[in-house]
Amino acid sequence: MPLKKVLVANRGEIAVRVIRAAQALGIETVQVVSDADRDSLAAHMADRTVVLGPAQSRLSYLDPKLLVHAAIKTDCDSLHPGYGFLSERAELADLCSDHGVVFVGPTADTIDALGDKLRARAIAKDAGVALVPGTDSIANVDQAKQAAEGIGFPVVMKASAGGGGRGMFIARDYADLDVSFDKASAEAEEAFGDGTLYMERFVGNARHVEVQVLGDGDGRVVHFGERDCSTQRRYQKVVEEAPCAIMPTDARAKLHRSAIQLLSSLNYRNAGTVEFLYDVDTNDIYFIEVNTRIQVEHPVSEQVTGADLVQLQFKVAGGEPVDFDQSHIHVNRHAIECRINAEDASNNFTPSPGRIATWQPPRGAGIRIDSHCADGYLVPPYYDSMIGKLIVTASDRDAAVERMIAALEEFQIVGITTNLPILRHIVSHPDFKDNAISTRWLESSVLADFQQ
Amino acid sequence: MANPDAKDIESLVTLFNQSDWDEMHLKTDDLEIFLSNDPKATGPTQMIATATGALAPVETSAQSADTDEAKITPAGADTTVVTDVADGLLAVRAPNLGTFYRAPKPGAPPYIEVGQAVEPDTEVCLIEVMKLFTPVRAGSAGVVREICIADGQMVEFGQVLVIIEPRA
Repeated sequence: MPLKKVLVANRGEIAVRVIRAAQALGIETVQVVSDADRDSLAAHMADRTVVLGPAQSRLSYLDPKLLVHAAIKTDCDSLHPGYGFLSERAELADLCSDHGVVFVGPTADTIDALGDKLRARAIAKDAGVALVPGTDSIANVDQAKQAAEGIGFPVVMKASAGGGGRGMFIARDYADLDVSFDKASAEAEEAFGDGTLYMERFVGNARHVEVQVLGDGDGRVVHFGERDCSTQRRYQKVVEEAPCAIMPTDARAKLHRSAIQLLSSLNYRNAGTVEFLYDVDTNDIYFIEVNTRIQVEHPVSEQVTGADLVQLQFKVAGGEPVDFDQSHIHVNRHAIECRINAEDASNNFTPSPGRIATWQPPRGAGIRIDSHCADGYLVPPYYDSMIGKLIVTASDRDAAVERMIAALEEFQIVGITTNLPILRHIVSHPDFKDNAISTRWLESSVLADFQQ
Repeated sequence: MANPDAKDIESLVTLFNQSDWDEMHLKTDDLEIFLSNDPKATGPTQMIATATGALAPVETSAQSADTDEAKITPAGADTTVVTDVADGLLAVRAPNLGTFYRAPKPGAPPYIEVGQAVEPDTEVCLIEVMKLFTPVRAGSAGVVREICIADGQMVEFGQVLVIIEPRA
């Protein structure tokens, strides 16, 4: 049953993105806002706005009861969770289905199964997908040392209950394990309520590549190509692109095949992303995790395939016919996205909320801006620092890099500090132009000389 | 349970004892029974737990006086208008989005009526979110001048619920 009215359960640029897609499909929109977002662009664009609670996320956007209650009371037949917040919490998906509200995303069971990293690894293993050589949960330092002996140093320890770098550390020898194990477990306990750690081999020269997928819930899954998200700082992506230009055809084909295999084995429904590490030296791909939501960087996949992924999310959720023929999807351009953050890169990336006096993004062919900002917008201090995304598209990577350099040059934001300066530095760096980057490149090569 | 007999009541008491509920109030045409683990309880004062079970009334303090200007979103969007409160009067505001209830349970007398005297901790209404009921208190001593919301209406965070004329 095609969706008629959706509750947009997020904020900022993704709320605007979801409303745009809904409007294109003739779906009415109800935007929920915290007190701090009453005057936001999403609130202005939506057919109706409801104020949930105070500015603090836990009293507004992070309260599943408030969200579902608002959906029911405004006669919404569906709810779109966006990314972050509760988008990967089975509790929200469950509450929606308990109350007859269609959750625009996978089922609660799928979210549950793939949300636990260790369970996800087991599922991938069963589906015949290669994993980074690693372990199950590691209870203590002694077990860690034993495991490391089997895997071979260097190793990386990760939290099974969550990501974003918390509870994560690299160990090059037994001493490193001694120093960091307990601390990491405590960090994970604090961040995710679960201190369980596991271990993987550390891949030194790695690319973070991920595959955008869409499933119909009945076993059919298509992909929209891969993205290269290797430019990261503290495991947060900064620049993403599509496709991963340095991957040879055979590895790329294996990547896509693995992603499809994994998710069709679960009858995956709606949009998702399967993340892998690509070992540049050995040409191996290793499964890392699945993100059961639309992601920040989805626009680059849209730009190179011509697809509208958020519209497809609505169509799948509403049971409408969607073309699931892989041969109809072609990647034939190159796109790069830079995340624009309200932060001061020269001062340890401290967040920089405040009023934007002038918001002057670049314009021209092949330039796309996904943002909720405008002249006079007050960037609130309560939420994450991303204020927009700049996406450029061109015929190939070299042309895309040139276009991005010019676009960043043209971009003017006055009134708050942003990461535009470091983005300009990244994109014009010889390593970036030569596509000789890795997941450690930004931190080890660029940030070091940028601080000067 | 029509024409309940001693056995039915015994079953209810057994079930209650086996459960982890603190109290139970059951009312049908033929029977009204109140069971509680609290030796000081004198009868039902709380909301009825709903069919889905969990009831967790959370105490909140009512919003203090606030004479902010009305916040109206420009044409194209429909947001609920938070009205001005006249000089000298105090507004009790919604602590979060939810459904406004005038009485502890359907059919029961409402917490307050216009003209009633209230103290700071007098309960004036309930805000319900997904079966979670939060009593809202007057916040000041005075007289109820206006009850701004109809029973069962959805309210948003900060919306004016009740207007009180404070005692001098």
